[in-house]
Amino acid sequence: MIGLLASLTAHAAPMGFKDSWMTMGDFSKTYRELTANYALTPRDAIGVTSTYMQTNNHSQSQINNELTYTRLVKRWNMPEAQANIWFIGGIGETRGNYFGGTKATVSPGIQADYETTRLYASANARIYIADGITNNIVSARTGVSFYEANYDETQPWLIVEARRMSMVSDAYEVTPMLRLIHNRFFVEAGANFHGQPRLSFMYIY
Amino acid sequence: MKKTLITMLLAFSLSPAFAVTSMKATVNGMVCAFCAQGIEKRISKMPATKAVYVDLKKKIVVVEPKDGMTLDQKAIIEEVKDAGYDLVKVESVPKSVAEIKAELVTNK
Repeated sequence: MIGLLASLTAHAAPMGFKDSWMTMGDFSKTYRELTANYALTPRDAIGVTSTYMQTNNHSQSQINNELTYTRLVKRWNMPEAQANIWFIGGIGETRGNYFGGTKATVSPGIQADYETTRLYASANARIYIADGITNNIVSARTGVSFYEANYDETQPWLIVEARRMSMVSDAYEVTPMLRLIHNRFFVEAGANFHGQPRLSFMYIY
Repeated sequence: MKKTLITMLLAFSLSPAFAVTSMKATVNGMVCAFCAQGIEKRISKMPATKAVYVDLKKKIVVVEPKDGMTLDQKAIIEEVKDAGYDLVKVESVPKSVAEIKAELVTNK
């Protein structure tokens, strides 16, 4: 079986404003990702992503390289909140140590999120398909900000994520993280319940 | 009489209220500094813009024009919309960004 896993950096908006570049990284023992995308319009971004996956016992690993398309499907702007539905899809190639050669992959996914200045919640699902094989990553996040920060202040959040990556394990991985947002910087650091550290970041320019 | 009139006009023209008129927009959906970067960056690049101030708590964006220049209000509204937000209200205020920031800090 081939598990095809691509970008799923489940953060705030997965793209920046029109004509901006966004870089994203997500690093843990079982999943490492580096993504860059460019916002062609306020609702559409194209990019590239490279992801490395491995099982906990290192017996299986694979790397995916994809072109990505991100689309803001729907946004609700409210006086004290914002909610979004995103489409995130990829197309590219995958290689691994437990199957031969290089295979083509496609990976459509969806993200829904809701955010106020103090609360955050999101859910993601992505399916990975290649050569008759189907795999997936699903995750859900929720978090609370320690205080309401203004535009030019650093805002700390406590975020908890539950994530299931079918290539790695059938179990959900739960990871509490500290999130810091300051202007164009977005950083999260934490460790899952097995003590495996995780670091992710986003930057817009 | 003429001298008094000139003095009054001079005093009026030098008062802060006469010196600058900023554009103040109330914006829905502006909850995250990371996501609101586009507003500041894109409006700052406009030729008539002297200063931009974003207040997440009050959900306002204030734009101050350069001396002797007029803001393109329509273009600013489009930039806010392009950044992904909805405008609720747009008004002109006879104050600079610095004055509005100071007021908001005082009123916290």
